[in-house]
Amino acid sequence: MTASPSHLDLLEAESIHIFREAAAQFRKPVLMYSIGKDSTVLLHLARKAFFPQKLPFPLLHIDTTWKFRDMIAFRDKTAKDFGLDLIVHKNEDGLKQGINPIDFSPSIYTDVLKTQGLKQALDKYGFDAAFGGARRDEEASRAKERVFSFRAAGHRWDPRKQRPEMWRLLNGRLGTGESVRVFPMSNWTEKDVWRYILREKLDVVPLYLAKERPTIERNGQLLMQDDERLQPKPGEKVVMRKIRFRTLGCYPLTAAVESDASDMESIVAETINAQTSERVGRLIDHDQSGAMEKKKQEGYF
Amino acid sequence: MTIQASLKASTAAAGVKAASPLRDLNGIVHLLTCGSVDDGKSTLIGRLLWDASDLYEDQRENVRKSGRKAADSDLPDFSMLLDGLVAEREQGITIDIAWKYFDTETRRFVIIDSPGHEQYTRNMASGASFADVAILLVDARSGVKKQTKRHAAILDLVGVKRVVLAVNKMDLVGYSEDVFRKIEADFRTLCWKFGFWDATAIPLSAVYGDNVSTKSDAMAWYTGPHLLEHLEKAPSRGTASSGTFRFPVQTVLRDGQDFRGLAGTVSSGSVNVGDSVTDALSGRSAKVIRIATMDGDLKSATSGQAIALQLDVDIDVSRGAVLSSSEMRPIAAQTVEARLVWLSENAFNPRTGYLLRTVTDLIPISTLEIKALLDLETMSSHPSASCGVNDIAVTKITLGRPAAIDVFSDISETGTVMIVDAVTGASIAGGVVTAVNAKGEILGDGHFNLTREMLANGLCRDLSLSSSDREEFTRRANEAAILLRSAGVSVAIEPPPPIDDGLDPGL
Ligand SMILES: Nc1nc2c(ncn2[C@@H]2O[C@H](COP(=O)(O)OP(=O)(O)O)[C@@H](O)[C@H]2O)c(=O)[nH]1
Repeated sequence: MTASPSHLDLLEAESIHIFREAAAQFRKPVLMYSIGKDSTVLLHLARKAFFPQKLPFPLLHIDTTWKFRDMIAFRDKTAKDFGLDLIVHKNEDGLKQGINPIDFSPSIYTDVLKTQGLKQALDKYGFDAAFGGARRDEEASRAKERVFSFRAAGHRWDPRKQRPEMWRLLNGRLGTGESVRVFPMSNWTEKDVWRYILREKLDVVPLYLAKERPTIERNGQLLMQDDERLQPKPGEKVVMRKIRFRTLGCYPLTAAVESDASDMESIVAETINAQTSERVGRLIDHDQSGAMEKKKQEGYF
Repeated sequence: MTIQASLKASTAAAGVKAASPLRDLNGIVHLLTCGSVDDGKSTLIGRLLWDASDLYEDQRENVRKSGRKAADSDLPDFSMLLDGLVAEREQGITIDIAWKYFDTETRRFVIIDSPGHEQYTRNMASGASFADVAILLVDARSGVKKQTKRHAAILDLVGVKRVVLAVNKMDLVGYSEDVFRKIEADFRTLCWKFGFWDATAIPLSAVYGDNVSTKSDAMAWYTGPHLLEHLEKAPSRGTASSGTFRFPVQTVLRDGQDFRGLAGTVSSGSVNVGDSVTDALSGRSAKVIRIATMDGDLKSATSGQAIALQLDVDIDVSRGAVLSSSEMRPIAAQTVEARLVWLSENAFNPRTGYLLRTVTDLIPISTLEIKALLDLETMSSHPSASCGVNDIAVTKITLGRPAAIDVFSDISETGTVMIVDAVTGASIAGGVVTAVNAKGEILGDGHFNLTREMLANGLCRDLSLSSSDREEFTRRANEAAILLRSAGVSVAIEPPPPIDDGLDPGL
């Protein structure tokens, strides 16, 4: 008997296998790229899966126009450096209606600019499969998610239509009107994502590293004033604090943590020794109970 | 570079100290937990998480603050840690398997949890297909039940090789050795007919933590390992590099110049640069001139590694092909016999169009014939031409064209299949291939029977009955069978000799 392989090597190989299966079985796949650490790993795994070939599918970013500026810069640099085919889609109707994360509830905002935006883009280009970086460990409602997660017409997630999976057999034959979300990182944990970023020396958006940034304290959470659209309310003020982010999304909806961790190794150490899991920093999840579940049914993932 | 060497290199490159929490863990073990409701499954998993895992502090705080107590004890109710998963049961998802992950000091564990009560056959079979080790839970007051037997049968069917009988609630039987020994004996009798390599019974109390992650003072008479110790010693996924080489081709990669690489995951055995490989269907061979990955070329690759193979000549293979050595090829099957777990609510219908999915191929089925249904309690089969959800069917499948397929007991991955509805795409049944034939007829009497005695007196004479030797016994028997099959002889093998109490202190 030989020694055990490292768990990251096993996870990586499994993800590559999933990427290759999906690319071979689906007519027109796309990689949902949201710029954060999970997408960074997802993209890296995709590049490994098809090396030395160019990625056989484009990247899709749903731009709500409220992402941190550093994220957009990182996205464009990544696409350029790796020669990727990047599609950026905005829900123009939603933007025209003036939907924004400051005046509207997070659930309305997310539904219009993210969920509807994603559906528009998938329909517009006719993608039948979309790769996502979701993990089963993210929270209980994801714990049963399949690697190939089927969507009925209208992108609806129907629990009764989810297909059983066994061994390494992945059945991607689509019925009429069906499409699929593919989750190559289903079996990764938050810690694995960070360990892997460190091991593979991947670049991430600088917002993950601590730095002095302008912040506003609101409802007990620290928000970053990334541009003039977020203004202090009466009684609030903008204060420079050394902060970083554990997750990245739309800046008015993403809470920062105060931290001194300014290099990758301290980030990873801090995450691995963290007292709370990552979703604490994501404000949209606190909006309504069972929010994740609902978003899944609606086709957010 | 081997997978281990590449790990060392990359860990060193990242400047990670061996003892740091940033290190890669020593492999992954997938655990399936099964038992009847109230045997204490949630409490046991919760206790394991509490004692040995990297839970977040807020999760621990929730348990402490809740004030919920387990059973009649003063101890926190550790089963709370599983509450989220239990609530999710309400989703109404078909095939209800929840995945949970935790790290001990050295290892990644994945808990695959399937509900014990209704619809258990299909849930458990699909969950078990991912498992390296199964924990069968029983209540010390009731011991091994009919249900335990059915569970063991499903595990064996889908190829789980290591089982642990967790005899829980020992506190309620006064930590009695007699009670445990009797259950342990029943368990061995039960395991007798199955092909498990390792079957260990452990007396424990999930509530009080006896033998969960520490040795129990109350059961000094028990000298075996506690549960965690036993699990940390189990071999990880991807450890075996011996075995017969199989490489199912997923897709062909090109770099726009002269690179044409066959991409896939080695499903069994290993391959080196310079090896001659053969396409099972055409019989054509070529030499491996390059094993490509984005991290650099490799000299060899073993089972579980995802690679791209470049060959010296184009032998016209693409997705669906299986590469092997020329002497030990899979059969170009026209008919296969398979044991199928019926997963779909829709019963078998001879007028439905079905397809056969293998690891990388999708083959039209000309006829799917149900021969019999298997009774999991007696392991006997009863002739039947129909079959519905949760049944285990003995079937004969005639393919619309030949495909490279192995017998599951020889080489597991390339012997797994799924039945797919050609119109809806739904996954109808999943199963294992028990026989393959190239000529359209499965031989009845004309086959060669590799008996246990024959093997024990010959090829496997030097082996004992320990767990690792049982594994080796099976490996050699399979290799002999594959050789014979490649030469056109139909072969059946008996499982390794029964686990023997007297001879094997480890069991
Ligand atoms: N006395 C005792 N009670 C236990 C033990 N393990 C579980 N229980 C109790 O048995 C009941 C069922 O346990 P639970 O973990 O919910 O069972 P599950 O249905 O198999 O998940 C609960 O009341 C537990 O507190 C044990 O080791 N000793």
